[in-house]
Amino acid sequence: MRRPGLRTRVAAAFAAGAFALSASMAALSYQFTERALMAGRERNALRSAYLDAGVVQTGLATPEPDIVGVLRSLNTGTTRRAFLHRDGRWYARDADAGVTDTIPGGLRELVERGELGMQRVRTETGPAVVVGVPLPSSTGFYVIDSLHELDHTLRVLALVLTLVAAGTTAAGAGLGWYLARRALRPLDTVTAAAREITAGDLDARLDPATEPDLERLTTSFNQMVDQLSARLERDRRFAADVSHELRSPLQTLAAATSVLDRNRTRLDSRTATAVTLLSDEVARFQHLVTDLLELARDDQPQREPVDVADLCRQVCRSRGLAPEVVTVEGTATSWPVDRRRFAQILGNLLDNADRHGGGAVAVRVGAGPDRLVLEVDDEGPGVRPEDRVAIFDRFVRGPAAGARGDGDGTGLGLALVARHAAAHGGTAEVADRPGGGARFRIELPS
Amino acid sequence: MEHVLLIEDDDRIRLSLTLGLEDEGYAVRGAATAEEGLVAQRREPADTVLVDLMLPGLDGFECIRQLRSRDDVPIVVVSARDDTHDIVAALEAGADDYVVKPVAVKELSARLRALRRRARAASAASAVPALVFGDLEIRPEAGEVAVRGRPVALTRTEFRLLCELAQHPGRVLSRAQLLERVWEYAYGDERLVDVHIGRIRQKIEVDPAAPRHLVTVRGMGYKLPQ
Repeated sequence: MRRPGLRTRVAAAFAAGAFALSASMAALSYQFTERALMAGRERNALRSAYLDAGVVQTGLATPEPDIVGVLRSLNTGTTRRAFLHRDGRWYARDADAGVTDTIPGGLRELVERGELGMQRVRTETGPAVVVGVPLPSSTGFYVIDSLHELDHTLRVLALVLTLVAAGTTAAGAGLGWYLARRALRPLDTVTAAAREITAGDLDARLDPATEPDLERLTTSFNQMVDQLSARLERDRRFAADVSHELRSPLQTLAAATSVLDRNRTRLDSRTATAVTLLSDEVARFQHLVTDLLELARDDQPQREPVDVADLCRQVCRSRGLAPEVVTVEGTATSWPVDRRRFAQILGNLLDNADRHGGGAVAVRVGAGPDRLVLEVDDEGPGVRPEDRVAIFDRFVRGPAAGARGDGDGTGLGLALVARHAAAHGGTAEVADRPGGGARFRIELPS
Repeated sequence: MEHVLLIEDDDRIRLSLTLGLEDEGYAVRGAATAEEGLVAQRREPADTVLVDLMLPGLDGFECIRQLRSRDDVPIVVVSARDDTHDIVAALEAGADDYVVKPVAVKELSARLRALRRRARAASAASAVPALVFGDLEIRPEAGEVAVRGRPVALTRTEFRLLCELAQHPGRVLSRAQLLERVWEYAYGDERLVDVHIGRIRQKIEVDPAAPRHLVTVRGMGYKLPQ
């Protein structure tokens, strides 16, 4: 399971904290309130029972008391029920049998011993408190005082406190989420700067003054970018130096060998052969160096809208192929590509077709909804399935070539094709052409 | 015989190119620094100047600018630098063409011939004595251009490019077409066209950023509307 993000963790921590606080506060409030209310209620119950007991005692002072009548004269309301216990008999205002069972035995014993007692019980109507008052002549006066209302009040209180606790927890989570976002916002500037640098703008730096708390991060970031851009600069200079150092002697070689070539007729046959070898190898070496320097380029492709069909025709013309060989599929002809690289892709594919396939017979360019497809067909021997991946590696030559090759290919043509296709985020593949030969297919996404 | 001035600091390249170009029928004079080259050009102007960019002392770009400020001698850059910035900068400084080393002698010779043809073609272009586009007046045979009555100095390549568009008024010519007709490249670097159009605009337009004569047609090319 993925580790939850920073924001989630901060929000969860805030929620947990809010929950702990509010829950404990709610619990404490409830406890205190319940205790206070209950104590007050019980005091009330006791007082009322005591007063009523006094009335009953007075009422019972006659030789033949009407116990039920005395009980009935009490003002007990709907929440209180009064009972009298004398000589083993229970007297009540109304005939509700079984209620007296709720009067606990322990309490009765206490009253019979002559002590005042109070106990909480559970009746079928809910919680209640039973007060027992001893009266002379082994009489016990009991009042069952219903706590229904208080119970209801306490329930409501509990519900409200629970909701408040839940609400506070949610608010805590929300606050945590919001604060985490605010706190992480300065990191957006870091992200933006990093993106600029990836896109190639190596001058992007962060200003430590904007967010002093992140100063360590911004200074480290700036140092990292400084080092990176210094390294890139060194690499660039090295690449430029290498390019210059390789091209300069090649220029002399090319020019000098062309002079020798021109004057070949004036040379004896052995010298002339030497000149031929020299001339050929210099040409091949030049080709190789140019290809290698191209492979070593690491600049980003400059994609711009190009009329690819037109470009294909141009490249065909430059290779001596009739432009009619190019067919266009689909309607979109303008595609974002790096012009130079695309031209190289097609050029190298055509050269490859010439060298190994007897010449290209068809060039198809078509645009799908999200990609451009370029296909070059030849009617040569095709490419064996086991070679179809390796063929795009460096220095891999066709089976017709010798160890180093007697063709004049560098072995880098298709490697460059694959490289340039990849630079566009695309692919290069080879398959069989229906009818014989090879079909090279390049796909470039938009 | 055409005279070529070759400004190149690498002795071996200078010598081998001199030999090669002499074989092709040119008279070559070499200079190892830009300063030497500028002095030589002033004393005995060559028909074409070949210049390298990496020179000791005054660099190739400055050399091109100074040569260009004097006259419209055709300038071809021969450099090992193949970076976009360098190519564009060299062209903007005033070069007519740019080849990347190593360049075959035959190829260089072809470039020089194309340049020579450009000079002649510009003047032999049209039977019409003058082509007028608002405040722009072009006289192909005389090889003159005037804007709002005042003459404008264009290089041969710039003039040839302008004439090409002027002879097809209102028609859009693609970069590829212009490259072929003016520079004689069957397939080449279209930045040559873009930079030269920019240079011409600087010289003839009231506001080069909002051109009224040399208009860009997005995705297609350039045209000179009536």
